[in-house]
Amino acid sequence: MAGLTFESVGYRYPGSGRPALDGIDLHVEPGELVLVVGESGCGKSTLLRAATGLVPHFHGGELSGRVTLDGKDTRDVRPAELARHAGLVFQDPEAQLVTERALSEPVFGLENLGFPPHLIAGQAHEALMATGASHLAGRRNVELSGGEQQRVAIAAVLAMGTTTLLLDEPTSQLDPVAAEELLGLVVRLNHDRGITVVLAEHRTARLFAEADSVVVMEASRIAFAGTPEQAARHLATAAPWLLPPVAQAFVSAGRSELPLSVRAARALAVRQTPSGAAPVRPASPLGVTGVSKQFGAITALRDATAGFEPGTVTALLGENGAGKSTLGLIASGLMEPDRGRVRGAGSAGYVSQNPAHYLIRERVADEVAYALDQQSVHGAERDRRVEAELARFGLADLAERHPRDLSSGERQRLAIASVTVMRPQLLVLDEPTRGMDGLRKLALGELARSLAAEGTAVVVITHDVDFAAEAAELVTMMGHGQVLSERVPRSALAQGMFFVSQLGLAFGCSTLAEAADMLRATAGAVHA
Amino acid sequence: MRPLPVALVTVPPLLVLVVVQNPLLLGATCALSVALVAVSPPPRKPYVMFALTAAVLVFLINPFASAQGLTTIWQGPRIPVLDTEITQEELLYGLGAGLRLAGSALAFTAFIRLAAGDRVLAAVARVAPHSALIAALATRLLPALEADASGLVLAARARGARLGGRRPSAELLGPLVSLSLERSLSLAEAMEARGYGSGTRTRLPAPRWTRRERALLAVGLAISAVAAACFATGAGDYTYYPLAANPVTTAAVAASAAMLVLGAAAAGVVRWLD
Repeated sequence: MAGLTFESVGYRYPGSGRPALDGIDLHVEPGELVLVVGESGCGKSTLLRAATGLVPHFHGGELSGRVTLDGKDTRDVRPAELARHAGLVFQDPEAQLVTERALSEPVFGLENLGFPPHLIAGQAHEALMATGASHLAGRRNVELSGGEQQRVAIAAVLAMGTTTLLLDEPTSQLDPVAAEELLGLVVRLNHDRGITVVLAEHRTARLFAEADSVVVMEASRIAFAGTPEQAARHLATAAPWLLPPVAQAFVSAGRSELPLSVRAARALAVRQTPSGAAPVRPASPLGVTGVSKQFGAITALRDATAGFEPGTVTALLGENGAGKSTLGLIASGLMEPDRGRVRGAGSAGYVSQNPAHYLIRERVADEVAYALDQQSVHGAERDRRVEAELARFGLADLAERHPRDLSSGERQRLAIASVTVMRPQLLVLDEPTRGMDGLRKLALGELARSLAAEGTAVVVITHDVDFAAEAAELVTMMGHGQVLSERVPRSALAQGMFFVSQLGLAFGCSTLAEAADMLRATAGAVHA
Repeated sequence: MRPLPVALVTVPPLLVLVVVQNPLLLGATCALSVALVAVSPPPRKPYVMFALTAAVLVFLINPFASAQGLTTIWQGPRIPVLDTEITQEELLYGLGAGLRLAGSALAFTAFIRLAAGDRVLAAVARVAPHSALIAALATRLLPALEADASGLVLAARARGARLGGRRPSAELLGPLVSLSLERSLSLAEAMEARGYGSGTRTRLPAPRWTRRERALLAVGLAISAVAAACFATGAGDYTYYPLAANPVTTAAVAASAAMLVLGAAAAGVVRWLD
């Protein structure tokens, strides 16, 4: 039978006590676009790996039940042979590129399949063209942006004649521009070429309404599978944070309608005119004044000035290369500016984009203590502060575990805890929501606000506009190495041209609570 | 560039560096490697820093680890385990060993930076399929290690550690290895998902040899001939202990001069020919 079928599939990774897949029954018809949603660690990635045979052939472990791809039992056929039928695009764009240059990626797969040599170059170029990446053919993969790398990875899969495209959170590390383009490409491939698409994704706003069906996973099982409308009804009561933000707003407002796109939401609501005065702020004791930074021929910062208020969460937004991370590093005192002044860098903490870089010790508790050891804080004081930080971040039960055995969300919390234990006055979080599901983002937003409530100036460098709208009290927009504006979220993210949240587009509101209030207040107005 | 001509200008010098003893010839061959690295595409700095650091360490440590040689230069205080009598022979041997190490590392660097990684991968996949993962990792090893190392150092500094530069301290070396292992697993999984090992591979027809590749092949053949002559005639033979011999022999000077000239020629070909 053509298509992808799971029959009572269960799976455990080697040495794991709990199943990663449990009683999975699913059939994907050829040409379908299926969206798989669920919290981190619910089994989405394992489901996709099972579809390609990487589970169990590459990862080992115990597989029960049966997975068939175009009639082939994945237990009997190696993943390398299944590659003709289904291609998997992984979460990390850089880690999945095997070769040095972009053109060599599709060539690699074609050579592996024994494609006739004289046809390889044409097929590889055509695959790059299909994904809008032909201009990248001669470029080195390491020099490409994350979005470009994902395009090349998809081209490499398509070149092999794959009829099923499996994507594992392909936009988790991309900025909004690249993510939008990539998801648009995936929809086009499905609509125009009839490629079957199974996509696991946290950013549901773009695809929820476009999918043929939505699979909701929960604790290694399929909790629900159906049309987007049916799935939305299920999620409205079971896990509303997995819905697109506009639908979440209607659920929060207690309204019965469940729009899944901005267009549908606008038809059901009276859009507000966004407002929000520019903040009146005293001179902040923390921040940078007139800083510039040059890397070779590239100007990362040009006379940038920004202040970060204690007790405030500030979102630092801007396109890739705008200078956000450089500003964060300089404000934290981890990088010297070429020119300009830094205020309060001596008491700043910085959490980079990769939590793995903060995992260097053998125990979670020791990891949190690392900064205290550097500051020569010993004895009872050390133990007390470590315990307090573990408790605050919900890591107390994991104190004896090895940091690398933690889940991605736990790793992220540990990385932040290992910095906040220093009690910094300024805390910079660089892209903290990468790969996070909606529930974890809500928790992170809460955490940022609670740290701010204790008097910390929290700066969140992010591409995640919806998160910034929810978590931040101030939005600093950057472009071309300069600070372009400082506004409140309602003004910045609801009025913005590109950095605009889905709630902003639909209702002119920045937060879920505002949108829900507005929807409650205007219930019936549209119909009337 | 295709791997063959690059291999011909880097592998024979590497063998010379491993086999011969004469410090003059070691120095000339090391200079050949330096010339090739100098015209290689960036990044070069991490490779060069590694080579220089290793060479200097070996040069400095050898006199204290070795207790040979008759020409004493300096006699230090007696310290258990360490040999504090520094001899001219020990210094000369340390110099030779440093040149050997630096030259070998730089020859390897020149190969990695000059040979097209994708062609190396394709060649290895054809000849030794099970080693293709190693080839894929090797071509990106140092840049990836450098990125991970600077990330670890940054994270440590963000938590108050006082570390200089971008090099990790000893405490960070374990995590650095862990990150490398995670990277290699991801790469192996991606290779399998893309059909690697599904059967007989074909190969994208190679483009025509360029002028530069042909010229480098010729220089490489000449270097191979010089290396073979060194091995056959014993031009690189030398004794350090108990008394250092004179390294300036006719055969060593001739071989060294040939290495220097061919090194300059190879660098010129890479630099000036398209």
